[in-house]
Amino acid sequence: MNARGLDLTIEGLTVVYGGVTALDDVRIAVPSGGFVTVLGANGAGKTTLVRSITGLLYLHKGRVRRGSIVLGGESILGRKTPDIVSAGVAQVPEGRKLFPNLTVKENLLCGAASRSDLSGIDDSLDQNLDLFPQLRPLLSQTAGLLSGGEQQMVAVGRALMSQPSLLICDELSLGLAPKIVHRLFELLTEINETRGTSILVIEQNASLALEHAADAYVLELGRVLMEGSAAELRGNPMVQELYLGGGGEAHTSYAAIERPRGERRRGRKKPGGDS
Amino acid sequence: MLLAFGNFTADPSVNLQLLIGGLALGAIYAVVALGFVLVYKSTDVLNLAHGEFLMLGAYFALTFLISENLNFFLGVLVLLLVMLVFGLLVHYGIMRRMVGQGFFAIVLITLGIATIIRALLLIFYGPTERARLDLLPQGSFEVGGATVRHVDLIIFAVVAGCVLLFFLFFKYTRLGLHMRAVADDIEAAAAMGIDPDKVYAMTWAAAMVMAGVGGLLFGHVTGAIDRSIEAIGLRAFPAAVVGGLTSLGGSIVGGLVVGVIEQFANGHLGTKWREPVAFSVMFVVLLVRPTGLWGRKDLERV
Amino acid sequence: MTATENPPAQQTAQTYRPSTLQRFLPFIIAAVVPFILGSTTGDLNFWWKAVITVVVLVVVARLAWKWTPRGELTHREDMRLWRTPSDRSWAALTMFGLLVLPFILASDFTPPMGFPWATWFAVVNLVLIFAMGAAAFNLLVGYSGQISLAHVAFLALGSIVGGVVGVQWSGGNMWYALPAAALAGAVVGAISGLPALRLKHLYLLLATFGFHFVMMLVWREYLQEYFGFVGIRFKGENSPRIASWLHWLPGIDPDQNGEFVITGQFRWYWVLMPITVLSILFMVNVVRTREGRAFAAVRDRDVSASLLGINVARSKLFAFALSSAIVSMSGVLASFYIGSRGEDSFNVQTVLNYAIIIVVGGFSSIQGAIFGSAFFWFLPEWFKWAREELWFVRDIDFLSDYPSEIDLAIKGFLVVIILMFKPDGLAGMWRDFKNWLGRTLARSNP
Repeated sequence: MNARGLDLTIEGLTVVYGGVTALDDVRIAVPSGGFVTVLGANGAGKTTLVRSITGLLYLHKGRVRRGSIVLGGESILGRKTPDIVSAGVAQVPEGRKLFPNLTVKENLLCGAASRSDLSGIDDSLDQNLDLFPQLRPLLSQTAGLLSGGEQQMVAVGRALMSQPSLLICDELSLGLAPKIVHRLFELLTEINETRGTSILVIEQNASLALEHAADAYVLELGRVLMEGSAAELRGNPMVQELYLGGGGEAHTSYAAIERPRGERRRGRKKPGGDS
Repeated sequence: MLLAFGNFTADPSVNLQLLIGGLALGAIYAVVALGFVLVYKSTDVLNLAHGEFLMLGAYFALTFLISENLNFFLGVLVLLLVMLVFGLLVHYGIMRRMVGQGFFAIVLITLGIATIIRALLLIFYGPTERARLDLLPQGSFEVGGATVRHVDLIIFAVVAGCVLLFFLFFKYTRLGLHMRAVADDIEAAAAMGIDPDKVYAMTWAAAMVMAGVGGLLFGHVTGAIDRSIEAIGLRAFPAAVVGGLTSLGGSIVGGLVVGVIEQFANGHLGTKWREPVAFSVMFVVLLVRPTGLWGRKDLERV
Repeated sequence: MTATENPPAQQTAQTYRPSTLQRFLPFIIAAVVPFILGSTTGDLNFWWKAVITVVVLVVVARLAWKWTPRGELTHREDMRLWRTPSDRSWAALTMFGLLVLPFILASDFTPPMGFPWATWFAVVNLVLIFAMGAAAFNLLVGYSGQISLAHVAFLALGSIVGGVVGVQWSGGNMWYALPAAALAGAVVGAISGLPALRLKHLYLLLATFGFHFVMMLVWREYLQEYFGFVGIRFKGENSPRIASWLHWLPGIDPDQNGEFVITGQFRWYWVLMPITVLSILFMVNVVRTREGRAFAAVRDRDVSASLLGINVARSKLFAFALSSAIVSMSGVLASFYIGSRGEDSFNVQTVLNYAIIIVVGGFSSIQGAIFGSAFFWFLPEWFKWAREELWFVRDIDFLSDYPSEIDLAIKGFLVVIILMFKPDGLAGMWRDFKNWLGRTLARSNP
């Protein structure tokens, strides 16, 4: 299970909430052992994408209208979340979503909920604590009282507890100091390289994601606007303008946040026109 | 408080008797409050049908242990199994579809379930009242001029045992951990591969089993078994609130506190003051500390 | 796009303004015809009257539909309670129906198959009283989101005020008791709403439930102090009377003692119907204005509402006061209509009954309260009829052995089923029906 990553192929995925289309004909592929990032602004449909993969749409009254999601040759569309997690998909949810009243250790153990090899869980716990040595002294601390960075580490560790073949991180950088985000991304790369786990990172922080990922997709208003290798996209002038704050700087200025509104409409009319 | 009403009675043995009666009543409240807490803690549902669940338990105890005359332990086992099945029925038949609905809609649906249970019990058992159960030891002994019934001690022991059992279950078992995780954040729990559906089903089953235990115990101390015993469900509310609706241990403490206060109000002020005093205590606790003495606090984000 | 291309002249060409007479004529017809029909007792037989009723219904609806202002509306026109053709024709229909109903129910008519007729008048009057209370309850929990189980406490408060003002002070003058109850209800309601400033959801529900028990204590104490265990008698010498300035009206004759007692279903109908209709219209108006929008904002997120400049505390307390005032008034009406109130008149089952009414009728809908209470009171009637008369139900012993229990079970199942599958209840079905009707009509004459 742990040995190698599985490949994920999403084809023609269309998702609606009531009458609102959140994803429209989305096509994304994560190769086995690959590191892929999906970029996009608020409301681009990033979180919906995660929910579709993990089978959690039903909690938000969403529905897949068309498309397929295949993990390692097996369709996981329409399966229940516990099945999907057992099949090897783990996620770090947006906003961390720790169990605030549980201790750090209990949080980590919850990540292993889908595992049936009870004896292996302790080993995984140890392995994860080696990745995040800071968490060792905090094990019996209530998770809700940790700092944001520590919480995010617990969230990543929790996801790793299921020994996933595909790890999905939703907005890892949200509300965290750049230094911590850098560290987390380095860890993801390490996991990707040493364990062979496929990784799908959903991000707003484009520069950092493009630095670590191999392939990248840009999602806009529920559609795939651009796709290509991370290096390609980093060099793309439109991506630079929209997501990298002009000169490829890590920090976007206020003006850069304002401008995409107009750009977005233009982008919608001729999707993928530049790439 | 006792001094203020000292003109009624200052006889220590009377007060001791009231204290003992209050603790006995409190133990019953604790059984009921435990049922509330179990459901509220993990599903966020305020189950107004718990009194009816308990009534169901009492009537089933009547059927299995008196009418069918089963061996006590076998009968209790059958009772608890049947209650478990009913709990699963409540979840898979009804509550499952209500996940994610508004708070008040869910409260109302539990009222609907309460109505159904009451009506069906009336149809199948009729309105005639039955004698209370007498399977547990009926004797009593004296302490300092006050009578202590054996039944009350047994009830007390059973409640303490149940709380301890649930505490250990939640703290040390995998399923217990998963149940707490679902209570904390259902979506995150689902994302970890925990099936909230199963957890909720377990919760309702556990609550029903607790109601079975409660019905069996309460059936021994109530005046008679008839349709009025569902009122215990509402009367135990102050206990659950004072203890904190999310705390297992709190339900015991809350039960005992409210039971004793009620008994003293009963003894010194008159029967009619029982409910108002208990609910006033609840009211004050709500205003001062809404989450009860041991409840967890939830923050609201805009 | 098209709007900017078309010249504005075309827009005004579609604008239609009926004259004032045309605007009011359907409603005048709806108001007058029932009384003409009612005064012709004996001259026309029942079926002729039924035919005339149906014809007038259709005509009134059609005219109200036709004579509706269309096109560009002034702000005043836009803010009218009945604005669209469909609103206006339903309003005219309802008005006609409410006015003609007592005459129909009072006529001696024997429906086929022993369908219950004689008891319906009493049921209709109960529906009116309960609809008023349930609508006020819905205003509080549905529109303003303040979850309360204390409404039965306010029914009891209504009975207390009815006892003090209506019986003890004035010997059966309900007309003093009603405003007094409204006032007392508003004050006590605002006080009972104080916990809402601090508590929400579950905790508010429990706090109001605590208030219920405190009020029950007050009620029992009051009864025992002044009336003993028999309870308050609101009938006999304490019956309400018709105000002297209405004695000239045709059809109002003194009884043997020369008194104008409000007795019998017909007279009660004319007391209950206007009060219920006016209070419901009042609540509908509150809901659709500024105050009602504040309710909705506070319900959805009170912290955000306060950021928008809404005085959250004021809004919550106002909702409690308004709702409680109307519930208390319905408590007075219920006391005088039913005739006596004792210690067991208010219990947890009463709380449940109101819950059933608002769920079946449609949660958070004021019309829903009317549907719900109609259903609540008519269901046992129909069930009784089916049990006694309907050939394929009559022979099932099981049903006739446990009539009230099966009633209760049906109500419980209905609550569960409606909440599971149709959370907006009968009011939602009614809306669906109106939409369907509108679509069908639009298709037949485009």
